[in-house]
Amino acid sequence: MIFQNIKMALISIKSAKMRSFLTMLGIIIGVFAVLLMIGIGDGVKSQVSSEVSSLGANLLVVYSGKIGSESSAKNGQQQKSSGGGFNIASTIGSSTLTQNDVISIEGTPHIIHTAPYNIISSVVTYGQLSTSSPFIVGTTSNYDDITQIKYSAGGFFTPQDNDARNNVIVLGEDTKHNLFGETDAIGKQITIRGQKFSVLGVTKKSDGGTSFGANADDMIYMPINTANKITGLNQVFRIITQVDSPENISNAQEAINKTLKSNHGGQEDFSVLTQADLLSTFNTILDLLTTFIVAIASISLLVGGIGIMNIMLVTVSERTREIGIRKAIGATSSNILGQFLIEAMILSIMGGLCGLALSYLVGMLVSKFAGITPVFSLKALVLAVGVSLFVGVIFGVAPAIKAARKHPIQALKAL
Amino acid sequence: MKQSKPIIEINNLAKCYDDDAGVYDALKKVNLTVLEGDFLAIMGPSGSGKSTLMNIIGLLDRPTSGKFILNGVDTETLSSKQLSKLRRDKIGFVFQNFNLLPRLNIMQNVELPLIYKKIKSSDRKRKVREVLRQVGLEDKIKSRPNRISGGQVQRVAIARALVNSPSLILADEPTGNLDTKTGIEIMNLLKSLNSQGVTIIVVTHNPEVVHYAKNTVLVRDGLLHKKQASA
Repeated sequence: MIFQNIKMALISIKSAKMRSFLTMLGIIIGVFAVLLMIGIGDGVKSQVSSEVSSLGANLLVVYSGKIGSESSAKNGQQQKSSGGGFNIASTIGSSTLTQNDVISIEGTPHIIHTAPYNIISSVVTYGQLSTSSPFIVGTTSNYDDITQIKYSAGGFFTPQDNDARNNVIVLGEDTKHNLFGETDAIGKQITIRGQKFSVLGVTKKSDGGTSFGANADDMIYMPINTANKITGLNQVFRIITQVDSPENISNAQEAINKTLKSNHGGQEDFSVLTQADLLSTFNTILDLLTTFIVAIASISLLVGGIGIMNIMLVTVSERTREIGIRKAIGATSSNILGQFLIEAMILSIMGGLCGLALSYLVGMLVSKFAGITPVFSLKALVLAVGVSLFVGVIFGVAPAIKAARKHPIQALKAL
Repeated sequence: MKQSKPIIEINNLAKCYDDDAGVYDALKKVNLTVLEGDFLAIMGPSGSGKSTLMNIIGLLDRPTSGKFILNGVDTETLSSKQLSKLRRDKIGFVFQNFNLLPRLNIMQNVELPLIYKKIKSSDRKRKVREVLRQVGLEDKIKSRPNRISGGQVQRVAIARALVNSPSLILADEPTGNLDTKTGIEIMNLLKSLNSQGVTIIVVTHNPEVVHYAKNTVLVRDGLLHKKQASA
């Protein structure tokens, strides 16, 4: 009977193609929007997590300010925060970290390399060309050791450059291209904050890679002492350290925490985060965002469902005579109920599958033009079919009941 | 002629409508017995109650009071699902118009009662061919209802009514929308089916039909009047 109902449904859907398509359109758009949003969310997540893991599971980053994450809460049991919340000012205000902290961390067990990381705001000028897009970072040569930068020309600055506060810089591939085009940049002089810097190296194109949140190809690295010289500040924005092996990471995390706390007079005004901590913070935010957008997109699914109900109610009225004939020749009320319910379900499943195909297609365009590769999991497929089936049942029941309840005589009289 | 057993026994049957227009007695104390193999014409002007009687005999409606026994089964206590099954198995309907589902082809239309009876596909196809052969429309099996003539539509409807081998074919103005010649053809078809043993009841206000029937009853103002078969 179910097979017969499906056949019937396909016949009647086919006999009103335009109407069926318009009915499905609501579901198509709804499923498409939901799936694409989930796909993009998952895509960004997997991209970030692969970048983070490519940096290595044995990295620790010390931030200024207290970021409420599980591991730091664990380490700071004695210090109950009264507000309990996370104060954004503590992470973007003037830093609580110093050069002294960098030296202390270097002396902690299991630590191989430690690099300070400062951000300098400036425009960059070469000849007539000027750009404000590069992310300018002051660090030490340890940064090169930790992140294993690859070069298309030249190399990183040395500890001697840092000690001597030499005006030397390393450019990201995009930055170099923006300022120099195809010509060689090594040895050329560019201007940052009124001072001339000579180019030591150019990094290799990383293809959308990021460096601690910034576009890895639009970067300028300079010695941190030089940076402090031109900014007149002596603080450290972040500290990036490399632990000898991933097994020791939580020991090192605890040791750094302890050392810095005593440096800071017992106040825990910093956060030592593993890559996993960072990832989970990021994922929490992204999940929240995705959920929010998906919730909005779901509204269109709801509207699509109402569209199906609307059309099915019209269909039932139009086909009153058909219902009468079917009942006269032996269809039971449940036969009729099944027929119209299955028709609604098929409409919405077809809509769901079209939405799935469309989101896949647009997903490919997004990955081609926006640099984000949406991830469509089996979960998404099941979700698309499941949700549209659900919508079909929920919004198909009322019209189907209406059809089933029609009295055969009234139905036969209708023209 | 051997004594046939009754297919329909109606005793003191009444149907009363109570709607916005007020209380209205459509049928008052009707008694009727139809024997197996009969060809009965139910005549009467419109508004006489003959359609109500047909609906009750066709199990599409229930009487307000009185007994209706179909094939020895008292229909009073049956559920709507049981009525659907009885309708499916015992009664074949032929209506005046809009008999067939326009989206389905002839095969699919005739097949419907068998689908509701959950007969398997190969048996359905065989049976459909058989009844279409009986009404002379074997070659139209794939046609749509809008591709065949009015007389052919009625033939298909008769085939559909026959497909479940019912005890009774109930035809409501089967010639109503047909020209005289085609009407005669349809009545001859019904008559030949009757001579093969199928019990037929035709509801009509067309006096010509009476010539084909073995028995005729007249409904007037909710009451039944027996009439001898005219020669």
